[in-house]
Parts: sequence; C-alpha cells; structure tokens
Amino acid sequence: MNEPMAKPPLLASGMNEPTPEKALRRLFLTLFLRGRGARGLNRNAAPKSIKDKLLLTLLFYGLFGCLALTMMNQPVFALAVYLHAMTFMFLGMFVASSAGEILFNKEEADILLHRPITSKMMLWSKIRVLVEVSLWLAGAFNLAGIFAGLGSPDGGWRFPIAHAISTTLEALFCTGCVVLAYQLCLKWFGRERLEGLMTTAQVLVTVGAVMSGQILPRLIFRFGHVLTASETSWWIGLLPPAWFAGFDDAFGGSAAAASWLFAAIALLMTAFVLWAAFGKLAENYESGLQSLNETARKPRKRGRQWMDLFIHAPPLCWWMRNPVERASFRLTTAYLFRDRDVKLRIYPGIAPMLIVPFIFLFQGHGGMGGFGVAFSGTYMGLVPMLSLGILRYSQQWQASDIFRAAPMPGPGPLCHGARRAVLCILTLPMLLIFGLIVWAIHRNSSDLCLLLPGIVSLPVYALVPAVFGHSVPLSVPPEEAKSAGRGLSMLAVMFISMGLAALSYFSWMGGWFWEFFAGETVLAVIIYFVMRAMLNSMRWKSAE
Amino acid sequence: MIIVEQLTKRFGTQTAVDALSFQIPAGQIVGFLGPNGAGKSTTLKMLTGMIEPTSGSATICGFDLKSQLIEVKRHVGFVPESGAVFESLTGLEYLEMVASLYSIPQDAARKRIEQFIAFFDLSFETLTDKLLGAYSKGMKRKVVITSALLHNPPVVFFDEPLDGLDANAAVGFKALIQTLAREGKTIVYSSHILDVVERVCHRVIIIDKGKLLLDGKPDELVAAHNSGTLEKLFTQLTGGEELERRAEDFAKTFRA
Repeated sequence: MNEPMAKPPLLASGMNEPTPEKALRRLFLTLFLRGRGARGLNRNAAPKSIKDKLLLTLLFYGLFGCLALTMMNQPVFALAVYLHAMTFMFLGMFVASSAGEILFNKEEADILLHRPITSKMMLWSKIRVLVEVSLWLAGAFNLAGIFAGLGSPDGGWRFPIAHAISTTLEALFCTGCVVLAYQLCLKWFGRERLEGLMTTAQVLVTVGAVMSGQILPRLIFRFGHVLTASETSWWIGLLPPAWFAGFDDAFGGSAAAASWLFAAIALLMTAFVLWAAFGKLAENYESGLQSLNETARKPRKRGRQWMDLFIHAPPLCWWMRNPVERASFRLTTAYLFRDRDVKLRIYPGIAPMLIVPFIFLFQGHGGMGGFGVAFSGTYMGLVPMLSLGILRYSQQWQASDIFRAAPMPGPGPLCHGARRAVLCILTLPMLLIFGLIVWAIHRNSSDLCLLLPGIVSLPVYALVPAVFGHSVPLSVPPEEAKSAGRGLSMLAVMFISMGLAALSYFSWMGGWFWEFFAGETVLAVIIYFVMRAMLNSMRWKSAE
Repeated sequence: MIIVEQLTKRFGTQTAVDALSFQIPAGQIVGFLGPNGAGKSTTLKMLTGMIEPTSGSATICGFDLKSQLIEVKRHVGFVPESGAVFESLTGLEYLEMVASLYSIPQDAARKRIEQFIAFFDLSFETLTDKLLGAYSKGMKRKVVITSALLHNPPVVFFDEPLDGLDANAAVGFKALIQTLAREGKTIVYSSHILDVVERVCHRVIIIDKGKLLLDGKPDELVAAHNSGTLEKLFTQLTGGEELERRAEDFAKTFRA
C-alpha cells in the first residue's frame, strides 16, 4: 500500500507534452488582459483574441506618448526626465493596481493550489506576465519619445538605443518595486496581516508613482525648460525617473558626470530591487498564498464596539433617525474597514486622484495659491462620488437580495446610509487633512474660507451616484464594473470643480466672495432637496 | 492508498484538525462527515496540499505529503466546496488550461473533455462560446468536476460535489463515483446530504471539532448505535438531538 504508484495512465503518453509553466503564463496573461471576472466582456459570446485588446491598449499608450514630440528641442536629460517620469507614473499605477490581484488572489487557491505546480512556478509565471506587459506598455509609450531624442540639441543616433535600454530597466525596476512592496509586507508584518496591508501597500505604491511622475515634469518648467543633472540640483537624484534619465544622458546625450552617476544608480538599484523582490524574498510568497486560503481568522474584538458607539452617539443618532439608514451606515462602514475586495478597489482608486489638488496647492505661487485652495475644496466632491460608485460592487452582491426582500418601497434609505458613511468616514477626514495642509502652507486662516464652496457642494455630489447611478451599496457583481463610466464621471467632476474653484477664486480676488458663497449655498440647498426627493421616490428596479 | 497519521492543523490558538488518523484502501468510497466547522474542508485541503499541516503526516498513493507534494498533487483530483473557476475563460479554455497543468497532450485532453461533456449533457458550443461567468451554478460545478477527473487521478476528493447539480446530474454523478470506485479509485466524499452518503459510501468517517468520532461501514454503525438512520446517528454524535427542543424555543420567541 505504501509503494509509490506509477504516473496516472494519461500522463504517460505523448512526446510533445504541454508544460505547466507555459500553461500558467498563458493563463495569467489572459486573466491579466481580460480581467478575472469577465469584467466588461460579453459573457454569452466567445471572447475575442487577447491580442486585440492588448493592441488597443498599446495604441492608446503610443498615442499618449506622442506628447513627447512637443519636447523635441529640449536637451536629452530634460526630455528623458519627462519620458521616464510619465512612464514611471503610468507603469506604477498600472502594475500597482493589478499586482495585488494577480499575486494574491483568493479564489485562485481553490483552483490552482491542488494542481501539480509549485508556488515558485506560479510566482515566476505571474512576474513574467507583469514584466512582459510592463515592457510592452513602456515601449508603446516611449516610441515617439525615442524619435524626439533624435532631434534633441545634444541627442543623436545613440539616444534611441540608450532610451530603449533605460526604459526596459525602468519597467523592470517599477514591476520589481511593486512586487517588493508586497513581499516586504509579508516579511515584516506576517502573513496574518497580509490582507489588511495589501490595500496600504497598493495605495503607497500608487501614490509614490503618481507623485514622482508628477513632480519631475513640473521641475522641467520650474527650471526654465533647461533641467540638467548638475551639482546644484543634486536632489533630483532622489527621484527614480531621474536615474533612468541620467542613463539616457550619459549614453545618448551630454554625457555629464552627474548623468554617469545617475546611470550607475539606475543599474544598481534595478539589480537590487530585482534580486530582493524575485530572488531573496520569493520564499515568503508561498506562505502568503496559503494564508489567503486559510479560512480561520482572528476574532474581532473592538470593531463592533466603536462602531456602535459612533452610530448611537450624537450627532450621528440625530442625523440618522431611520433604522434602515443606520443599518446601511453600519454595513458600509464595515465594508470600508474590513472587506479586502472593497478596500482594494476604493482606496487605491481614490488615492492617486487626490494627488491632483495637492499639486495645485504646492505649485500655487504668484497669487494663484488661492485657486489651489478653492480647487482642493471643490475637488473633494470626487471622494463621495467615486467611493459610492465603487461601493456598488461587491463579491457578496447576492446578499443584497435581502434589501429587496425587506418591506421597503425603494433603495432610498439604504443610499442615504451609505452616502452618510462615506461622508463621515472618508470625506470628512480628507477635508480636515486638506484644511491642515492649506493652513500649514499658507499660514493664513482666512484662506481656509476658500474651501467653503467645495464643502457646501459635498452633499449634492454624494447624492449623484444614488440618483443617477442607482448606487445601492454592495448590490452589483464586480464583473459589471465599467471603468470607462467612472472615468467620464471623474472628468465631469474635475471640470465642475475647476469651474467652481475659478469662480470662488475670482470672487475672492474681486471682493464679492461672500455674496457668491451665499448664492452657491442657496443653489446647493435647492438641488440637494430636489435630488433627495427624487431618491426618496425611487422604486426598486426589476432584478433581472 | 491514503494513510493519515496524527494530522493536525492549528490557526493561531484555534485547533481546526486535532490529531486525525485513518487509512483508506484503493477502490473505497468514504463519506467524510461532520457538522459545520468540524474541520472537514481543512482536512481535505491539507490532503490535497493546499494548506500545510501543523503536525502529523499523510501518505497518498505511497507519496509523502510533505516531501513529495508535487507527486501527491499529480495523483489526486479535488472538487472544492467553493466551485471556483476563472470566470473570464470559456469552459474549454479552462479545461485545456487544467489539462496543460498536468502535462496532458492537447489531443488526449480534448478527447477526455468530449467524453465528460457527453456524460454531463453539455454542448460543445456552450463550452467554446460562453465565458464561465455566464454559466449557471450547476454548469460550473460540472466543469469543476470534469477538471478534477481530467488527469485520471487514482484518488479523488469531493467537497459538497452535488451543490448546484440538478436531479439528473446528481444521479449521474452518484453512478459515476461508484463506477470510478469499481475501477480502483479511492473516493473521499464530504457532504451534508446524509441519505446520499448512506447509499453511496462503503464507509463513513465522522469528525467533530477536528477530532475523529466514528469510523466504519454505515449500516454497521447505524446498527451498533441503534439509531435507525445515518442522519439520526449523526445528530446523536454531534449534539443535534436537541434541535427539536431548540426549534420549539425559537418559535416561542415569536409567540411572546
């Protein structure tokens, strides 16, 4: 009984056996490009080739990269800084938003972990797919930039070669950084806390990529369009895209001494990150995968207590007298704090967007600082809009049948509870942080008044997803999430925010701010009550 | 075929499986029973290499679970309770991917898939033209069962395999596992549908709180405990005999 058995009969036949490695790579590439949950796909028709989707994405990146052609007359270092900063931002966001799901997918355990594959095999297949896709995207984005370098004053035929190599290094570095962030979370905080930390890691990496991608292009303009790697601007060397720009300048540009130093840093850092992420820390991966598969969890002790206190204490108990609203508030709060799936979509989705007003705040100078403050306030509307839009989707969407089964004519009270939770838990803290930052930068508390037009419009923004998007919390399967629609609403909010901020700023400068604010408040109150009435009269849509 | 000795799994301070030991020879269908949270799924996940045991050992088809994990995985098939699949693949893409993981040549895999879809009364068009996300729960379950048997494993673990299957498919499935057992395969069948277990299984293992409670042939166990049916025996052993009284208490709450 103890004698090892021969291979099962089917495995013995055939010379050209497919290998598990190839199968895994193909699987992860397909999942990466199609999404795991048939998101945005026609589920009742055979899917198109993944090549079509990839080509379309590459075309989009390529077209966006054509903006580099406007920098043809810039020195190689400045052009390369722009190209690498933008590449770093796009790749960082792209990889960070995908890596968590690709590296640590809970459902994957039930499908793959009992198959004859090692977790190392899985990790390498995933990393290879991440690197491959990163390289394609980086290549497409930098294609036009390569030609722009040919026309640069200190550029020449060597620039395309140098830039191709540095872009490859940057793609490897970027992917390595994201994987390293997850591996370090595993190593330092242990597999038990991995789920909670994945959101934090993803937010930090995304924000880091956006920040370094946004800061460097702005430096080009700050330095009178001539940014050089010199002793006077040594601190540029703290930003990773500058290392890769140094590589371009060293091998295909001015070959300044500082550029050689940056190039050396680029090579060393890339090598170190790859060694640490894919070699040294890879052994933690198996334990991380297994932990996601373990069903037992530590019992929660305090969460319930503070949440109950919070809901039943003034002013919340005065604000929410309807028990359904209170229940919905509690449900939404629980998901915002506990549900891995919701957290992974909401926080990394919101964080990079919030960088935009920070950039306006920090670069506000020459009398335009007030616009930055006003924009920070009006832009806050994005937080409830985006969050409530995302909160519609949940893996446990079928549980929302209980809402329809309950004796409620429509989803109004549920939406009110959810929007209040988002306003209290997400928007209010963000507003306080922005207020503190505004005060710290401008040292003038009267500037804080410019936040008011944004604050007044928040309740209206928070009603939009419910009234126009039927955003009943946690009621839609994540597969139906349409990121294109979200992008449109974000653009709309951004334009409205800019318009409102511009009006606030001009009224402030013109000395008629308080009249403007009173008018806006009256208008906001009217719109709020109209939308509230619309939401309250809304009836359940047929569930099909 | 399967030898389990003192198998234990702890999650922090919580012991999910507590020194479990049993042996299952080839060709036997074993019902693996227990109330919710008894440790059934954790045991099956340990035996299929999905989670690492805290202590103890297990041998499957002569291969040690710790030192020869890949060989163990090559010799087992597993239908997990979740029935998870990659929903953005078509049924055929999914099954061919699984076949590749076992290094099954494409032609052989395709023939095997055709046999299974004929057995489960699925159309080949459904398998090629629809994403798994569009399948009903029962259809997904059929694909998962097919994926567990595709590589012709000598040992198969089923965790609630009938969940979502219609009556015809369930009858067909029961016939299938009996046929597989006659051909020498070892079947471990975890389910809460006890009358099916009583009819299909040669032997039952009942666990509770991670510990072994009973191990034997269903009819012999029922006779020895004078319980009449396996269901009654199960409720006796796992504290379910108070259920009628509890139901009465529950109803009283509403009367008050």
